[in-house]
Amino acid sequence: MICPRCAHDALDTLAHSPVPGVWDVLQCARCLYTWRTTEPDRRTRREAYPAQFRLTQEDMDNAIEVPAVPPLHAG
Amino acid sequence: MAYDDLRSFLTTLEGEGQLLRITDEVLPEPDLAAAANAAGRIGEGAPALYFDKVKGFTDARIALNVHGSWRNHALALGLPAATSVKDQVEEFARRWDDFPVAPERREDAPWRENTQEGADVDLFEVLPLFRLNDGDGGFYLDKAAVVSRDPDDPDHFGKQNVGTYRLEVIGRDRLAIQPVPVHDVALHLKAAESRDEDLPIAITLGNEPVMSIVAGMPMGYDRSEYEMAGALRGAPAPIATAPLTGFDVPWGSEVVIEGVIEGRKRQIEGPFGEFTGHYSGGRRMPVVRIDRISYRTNPVFESLYLGMPWTEVDYLVGPNTCVPLLKQLRAEFPEVQAVNAMYTHGLAVIISTAKRYGGFAKAVGMRAMTTRHGLGYVAQVILVDEDVDPFNLPQVMWAMSSKVNPADDVVVIPNLSVVELAPSASPAGITSKMIIDATTPVSPDNRGNFSTPVRDLPETKEWIDRLNSLLAAR
Repeated sequence: MICPRCAHDALDTLAHSPVPGVWDVLQCARCLYTWRTTEPDRRTRREAYPAQFRLTQEDMDNAIEVPAVPPLHAG
Repeated sequence: MAYDDLRSFLTTLEGEGQLLRITDEVLPEPDLAAAANAAGRIGEGAPALYFDKVKGFTDARIALNVHGSWRNHALALGLPAATSVKDQVEEFARRWDDFPVAPERREDAPWRENTQEGADVDLFEVLPLFRLNDGDGGFYLDKAAVVSRDPDDPDHFGKQNVGTYRLEVIGRDRLAIQPVPVHDVALHLKAAESRDEDLPIAITLGNEPVMSIVAGMPMGYDRSEYEMAGALRGAPAPIATAPLTGFDVPWGSEVVIEGVIEGRKRQIEGPFGEFTGHYSGGRRMPVVRIDRISYRTNPVFESLYLGMPWTEVDYLVGPNTCVPLLKQLRAEFPEVQAVNAMYTHGLAVIISTAKRYGGFAKAVGMRAMTTRHGLGYVAQVILVDEDVDPFNLPQVMWAMSSKVNPADDVVVIPNLSVVELAPSASPAGITSKMIIDATTPVSPDNRGNFSTPVRDLPETKEWIDRLNSLLAAR
């Protein structure tokens, strides 16, 4: 399985369903996209994930900081 | 009637027929968000929604759309459910004048019943988290009252801020937070980060309904949200001391999360479907490390759906945006009658005002843009006469269509400040702003042919009462 949003292949499991075996919550180690395995394909499968929400490494590298980290006070 | 916690308000909503329990089992996605989305599409009397059978969970309790209709907003203020929007705003403005009302500190906060600390912190064990919109980067806490203090003046009760900021769950003990630069928590974070420090923070979830309204309200930097909640409730706001940070938090919260915003760190966040009806995100934002969670036994997870208006957030921040603008404008211009700032948290505003002399209405419009809230919002102002109800959109459209001569009455000012989330801003944070003066010109502005308006007949008011009583007696 790969990240539906950025196609990265390193995923973490954040949670298991309290009723065993119903679903897991997964997270991409790179872009932090988080999803439940029972969500619709448009949120969970790379091939069905909408183009306008996909992220690339370049997008992440170029993401602006909000708010910007301020300069340190001297002394 | 003031509520001390969310649960007592849900009981009232149910008694008034304004809470709907969904008894069939639902999927966490897409059902929870789709149901709350639908609540905003079934008319102005929509109920709160309560779910406790959610697939895969053993003990989920989820409340959505709690403020999501004018009936529910009226009940939150302790008013009859049928109170009109205009009357709710006027009552809100009347109670505003009671500020400040000192809070009441209590010791026996119910969220002391359960605790997670340190390595045991796991947000997924406490809350039935779920996704709202398709493009959201993850699961969000979007109805929290977030408490922080000014690092340069930590003992100043009024500078302690209580605000609502979007929080993305990015780990069992990690959140990303959006402190928009115009908001108070961003000032606190900037002060901490300038000193290379973390900023302690307390995030409270599932609050009594007025606390949620106040947390989303534009207020002066050194004004206490708790003292404003007391004024609006008509009773002191019950508060308690959070065990880790020592911050003042609502006594009745379902969940109190404490930790720090880690100084000088940013992490990819979002996107998130926002109150503007558009996604924003893919930016690097500060990160919260959770060190302690305190929670009531069987906590109720309160969330709200937001997206293309109208949704719950529009009811939640509608009147609370109108009243601060009304108060600030009327303090300098007593001619101002009413302010409707309910569109996208006041990106567009309608102001009803009497005219002191020609050109006066445009001055009122410019002043609205330079209020504290106006610096980040108020991109479009429509001015209407004192006898036009700004909450009655057909009347406003009549004023626009009959009074406006565009060449003289539409003023566009370039390159002003606006929240970065405003979709039409270019670049983000900068926009032009527009005044549409739909008032009747008065001397010496002698334009147009407005000398003979048709007014309601003197006997009409009597007939309104007569027709209403005849209809009621049928």
